[in-house]
Amino acid sequence: MTLPIEVLTGAVRGGTSILYASVGESIAETAGVVNLGTEGSMLAGALAGYAITANTGNPWVGVLAGAVAGGALAFVHAFFVLHRGANQLATGLVVLFLGLGLTSLFGAAFVSRQIHSFTAWDVPVLSKIPWVGEILFQHDPLTYLSFVLVPVTWFVLQRTGIGLLVRGAGERSEVLATYGHDVRLVQYLAVVTGGLLAGIGGAQLSTAYANSWFENMTQGRGFVAVAVVIFAARRPLAAMGGSYLFGAALALSPALQARGWAINQFALDSLPYLAVIVVLVLLGKKRAAEAPEGLQKVFELSTS
Amino acid sequence: MTALILDKFGVKAVIRWALALGAAAVAFGLLVLTKGANPFSVYSSMWTAITSSASFDGVFLKATPLILAALAVAVPAKAGLVNVGGEGQLVVGGVFAMGANLAVDGRMSGMAVLVVMCVAGAVGGALWAAIAALLRLAVGINEAVSTLLLNYLAINLMTFLIFDRWKDRNGSGQPASRPIPVVDRFPLLGNSKVHAGLLVAVVATGLVWWLLRSTRWGFQLRVVGGNPEAARRAGIRVGGTLLSAMLVGGALAGLGGVAQLAGAEFKLRQGFLLTYGYVGFLASWLARHKPINVAVAAVVLAAISITGDSLQLDSSLPAATVNVLMALVLLAVFGWTRVKAAAA
Repeated sequence: MTLPIEVLTGAVRGGTSILYASVGESIAETAGVVNLGTEGSMLAGALAGYAITANTGNPWVGVLAGAVAGGALAFVHAFFVLHRGANQLATGLVVLFLGLGLTSLFGAAFVSRQIHSFTAWDVPVLSKIPWVGEILFQHDPLTYLSFVLVPVTWFVLQRTGIGLLVRGAGERSEVLATYGHDVRLVQYLAVVTGGLLAGIGGAQLSTAYANSWFENMTQGRGFVAVAVVIFAARRPLAAMGGSYLFGAALALSPALQARGWAINQFALDSLPYLAVIVVLVLLGKKRAAEAPEGLQKVFELSTS
Repeated sequence: MTALILDKFGVKAVIRWALALGAAAVAFGLLVLTKGANPFSVYSSMWTAITSSASFDGVFLKATPLILAALAVAVPAKAGLVNVGGEGQLVVGGVFAMGANLAVDGRMSGMAVLVVMCVAGAVGGALWAAIAALLRLAVGINEAVSTLLLNYLAINLMTFLIFDRWKDRNGSGQPASRPIPVVDRFPLLGNSKVHAGLLVAVVATGLVWWLLRSTRWGFQLRVVGGNPEAARRAGIRVGGTLLSAMLVGGALAGLGGVAQLAGAEFKLRQGFLLTYGYVGFLASWLARHKPINVAVAAVVLAAISITGDSLQLDSSLPAATVNVLMALVLLAVFGWTRVKAAAA
């Protein structure tokens, strides 16, 4: 495999878990709620996905469990933010801490368990296309599902009545309320849906990407997803680009080392986070101004 | 009527707090139960763990960097900033202090080196925090997001140094920097394991309290945090105020890194001060960023995290389980201890 092909293939492989989380966070933020607990939802999803796969032998059941676990943690976030008026950013961090503790409590038993994980499945015909086939169509099934998720989410948010409600909750909640809609209910559903997707992303990480579970295995991917949503301005397709950028930076390190390049490993390990910060710098200002009103309030100064 | 009188004495608030904390304790007990451990024996062994004299020392040893990490959140929070970069700022503080110690390398010793290390650590932490502040002021990136990402970079920076440049060639086992000389360390207080870094933390707490309460700067911080638009109209330079809040916060965290390095661990190793930044964050939010209360909250959370070791030994639960208890306490406090804010 040539270097560019290897890095691009790795971008899709390593970026998919973040893609799920960032599409989910795009939905939550469109409804005006920022969820830093996305990191916790991913962790919960990673463990639940792994544990249930280990116990049932079926990774699909595992992914379902991962989605439920991620959604449950997001519900905690939604409850404290929407019902008790707690600060969104701080609550998100607490939810992450809850996820961190819960997964180390229940995860210890699964650290060295083997599972029947997802395997790569080459899409007939498409996987034979030179370059493109290798990069896009020789992955696990969850990756193909994410290809479908992105346009579907875009369509639902931008072109349907449901999407109008979600956008209304973030942008013009008074108007939504005037027309007799329950703004809070819409926000609850958006945040929990975001958590479900982050949970699937976590499960993808443990059952299709790493094929293992260890404490704090998400390594900030949930935070990266939140950052990606900022510069993607909540657009699923742009979030896909941002997620794959992180994945590409992640794949660069082993690809270079395999070719005998003597680049410091820790410098390369920093690259994915650095790349996200650089893109934030390049696109941040423009995007921040485009954010819906409800969201701008969160990102402005926030005292409790 | 009775309710009114009760409320005057804050009894209602006390009851709310008690109920909230009780609920957190019950929830944690149930969770422990699902793992086959008896909640009552878990709580009693946690209590013994805190009250035995040896771990009493341990609590204050652990609280020393935590107090500073928590103040590092409280100061920016007064100006309305969410600093989640304690992890990174602590580590960079430790790295700068270690760098200073290596640079001096025996040409000075004792108190002078310690002072140099403290200054270097505070500068390091402040610089790391300044990155996030500048990203916010120049490009509008929210500091909660940027500080979180910077944490991973700081940890990689330290790991690079201890695996490469600063690796102790004579050390065995896990890669680490060389230990700092005994004379350059914080002196112990009496016969305890607690070191003079605790005094630094206590003085810092008092200083922050005074600065926020009685100086022009503290006033500006609160005005900016309360209403930036009003602050701007009143002629306060909002950008400069925000930057200064982050710089002071970062410097405090940096000092926390120095305290842990020169008082407890003596060298940089992998996992140096891991999760201290986040626990400090929780402490500050637990105490609503009031400096004295924040320091007390840091001691309480230090005590809770000390019990993690007892959980591991007595109930064979992972030490990180206490993170659940901390999170539950925080959620209880967020949810039920204040008169409900007007629903945002």
